[in-house]
Amino acid sequence: MDLDFSADQRDFRDQVRTWLHENKPRDERPRAAAGIREYDLAWQRTQFEGGWAGISWPTEYGGRGLSLIDQLIWFEEYGRAGLPSVDANFVGLNHAGPTLMTRARDEQKAQHLRPILAGEVVWCQGFSEPGAGSDLASLSARAEIDGDELVVSGQKIWTSFAHVADWQELLVRTSRTGSKHQGITWVICDMHSPGIDVRPIRTMDGEAEFCEVFYDEVRIPLSSVVGDVDQGWSVAMSTLSFERGTAFTAGQVRLASTVEQLIELARERTGPDGRRPAIADDELARRLATARAEVAALRAMTYVGISRSARTGTPGPEGSIVKLYYSEMVKQVARLAMDILGPDGLRYVSRWIPGGWSGNYLYSYSQTIGGGTSEVQRNIIGDRILGLPR
Amino acid sequence: MDLLPSADQQDVVRAAADFLAQEMPRDRIRQREAEASSVDAAAWTGCADLGLFGLSVPEELGGAGFGVEEEALLFRELGRHVAPGPFLSTVLAAQLAVAIGDADLVASIVAGKTTVGLAALRAGSTVDEDRVRGDLDLIDAVEAPLVLLLGPAGAALVETGQLGAVQTVPSIDPGVRLATATGVDAPVSAWLPAATRPLYLRGLVLAAALLVGIAEACRDASTEYAKTREQFGRPIGVNQAVKHRCADMAVQAELGMAQLYFAAVSLASGRPDAELQARTAKVVAAHAATVNAASNVQVHGGMGYTWENDAHLFVKRVEVLENLLGGRTEHLAEIVALPAPQ
Repeated sequence: MDLDFSADQRDFRDQVRTWLHENKPRDERPRAAAGIREYDLAWQRTQFEGGWAGISWPTEYGGRGLSLIDQLIWFEEYGRAGLPSVDANFVGLNHAGPTLMTRARDEQKAQHLRPILAGEVVWCQGFSEPGAGSDLASLSARAEIDGDELVVSGQKIWTSFAHVADWQELLVRTSRTGSKHQGITWVICDMHSPGIDVRPIRTMDGEAEFCEVFYDEVRIPLSSVVGDVDQGWSVAMSTLSFERGTAFTAGQVRLASTVEQLIELARERTGPDGRRPAIADDELARRLATARAEVAALRAMTYVGISRSARTGTPGPEGSIVKLYYSEMVKQVARLAMDILGPDGLRYVSRWIPGGWSGNYLYSYSQTIGGGTSEVQRNIIGDRILGLPR
Repeated sequence: MDLLPSADQQDVVRAAADFLAQEMPRDRIRQREAEASSVDAAAWTGCADLGLFGLSVPEELGGAGFGVEEEALLFRELGRHVAPGPFLSTVLAAQLAVAIGDADLVASIVAGKTTVGLAALRAGSTVDEDRVRGDLDLIDAVEAPLVLLLGPAGAALVETGQLGAVQTVPSIDPGVRLATATGVDAPVSAWLPAATRPLYLRGLVLAAALLVGIAEACRDASTEYAKTREQFGRPIGVNQAVKHRCADMAVQAELGMAQLYFAAVSLASGRPDAELQARTAKVVAAHAATVNAASNVQVHGGMGYTWENDAHLFVKRVEVLENLLGGRTEHLAEIVALPAPQ
């Protein structure tokens, strides 16, 4: 039981901090999707060229080959530097990349991994469908085998950045015999293929980062299947375990700094009595204190998760505990900001702009839905950690 | 960085966990309800024989030489068993005796010969290096020759016989004996200034450990019941209303445990934010134990409301611990005022 970072790790942290300070993007992040693509890819390229992409990715794929602890240090410093979330690069770096590393064939790895790290391509996810949300295994986007190709028809939904993506991790149904978990195939889809139609969905925060994707006889080479045809469910589960592993570390650090910003804000702003600062209000002060305590405990829980993964070698189902607690907390903190702002919270400010508390509040509703709803996380905790009957 | 207990650290408490399961089963609390002391002398001596009171006492003074981390793991086990007896005040008193160099007192506590109860100051009461004055709440102190007081300026040991007329009070918790002493004006027999060794923060971490143990025990009891209790022809745990309640208990237990480890290491290694981490550990663990104890009653249905079921023992001990060494409101006020965590 220790919190000691070795001399090498402390040195690594200093290097990360210095490099991020000197190289972080200075311009404001654009709002339009095409601009976001260029901005996020340019920042990823900068990291790659500086030798900072893929801290825990093996060196053979262009990563640094460092430990999970170094990855933690990177995420912590990244969050502390106030940098934007990886957004357009999220699926490539945290989903597709780790999945390809563990499940893909050598030529697939050779083709795809380095471009993800180098900021050359954007990946998106094609898992959810209108009829297959929490019940992902009931997905019905159909793929027929025709010679050495899969021919895909159907629809996907909630695909972030589909309109600017190059590649997609796509789940399709290749067989209807057996249980619904059988007959699913995990395939790499070229988003520039003929027959793909992408339509952005405007969400409650006014932005349009999600899309619907329609497939009309889209032809994908069978050589793009990861794992075996009909065996994609286990590949998809490993994808999701990566998402619930360390991917929230930077978000957790960002949340901790958001709480500190709110404490500052409550010290500066007049509170609900119109005279004293907001922090003098007992209820607001206790909620801020609770938030500070809870993000501290969230960090401790992240450290425990990383310690556990470092011992076992793979992220376990405990990632669902962190995901559930983190996303519920994001919502609470966003709500608290609105209560500190009072009527000033009625003014809409995008979450991409400093002080964008109202935009952030609206966005926070997505956090307990995306990446598996809180209810699905509770099912996973109940079934896989506690061993409760299904 | 590895925040989980090592194999060696787990071994340290394994014998204690086995002993508690054998010799201090929760049912003993019900059996001793009418006794003056909540814990029988044989069990207490057994704890001493196992070295539980000297776990973090230096070896040259007869202890095992471990730190607050191992002691936190022990207290987590004590919490899990809702162990009766003044463990917290006795172990903290041993640390006080070590700090002031009173080897005889250390030896007597480690051997289980001197037990130390806890005294809490009521509003307007004071303690300094010379005297304690005012009204005191006494926790498991009636049978103990000494009581420990943790005031803002420091920690004091006072002879129980010097407190004057002590009035026993019916206790909400059948495993904890309560009393009050009013109009006290008694000499302090040993004093440790707060600045010398943060005994209070150590007390917060150990109280948090007791609460984490309770939160975990409630999670486990509910999970077990949800797997075996059948209604409508199937285990109640298949229903999301029950399953999700158990899942939330798992989240709370994990959160409390993680922060407990973080705080214990922060205190042991002298991190500058140790006070924030220790207060946070108490707040988070108390919340975890409170909601888990309440959920555990609910999951057990009618059985959870009976005297025979252990669910009420958890509920009651949580209430005692929440009020020990400062409650939620007090800690939250400090947490928001302290500098940001490191």
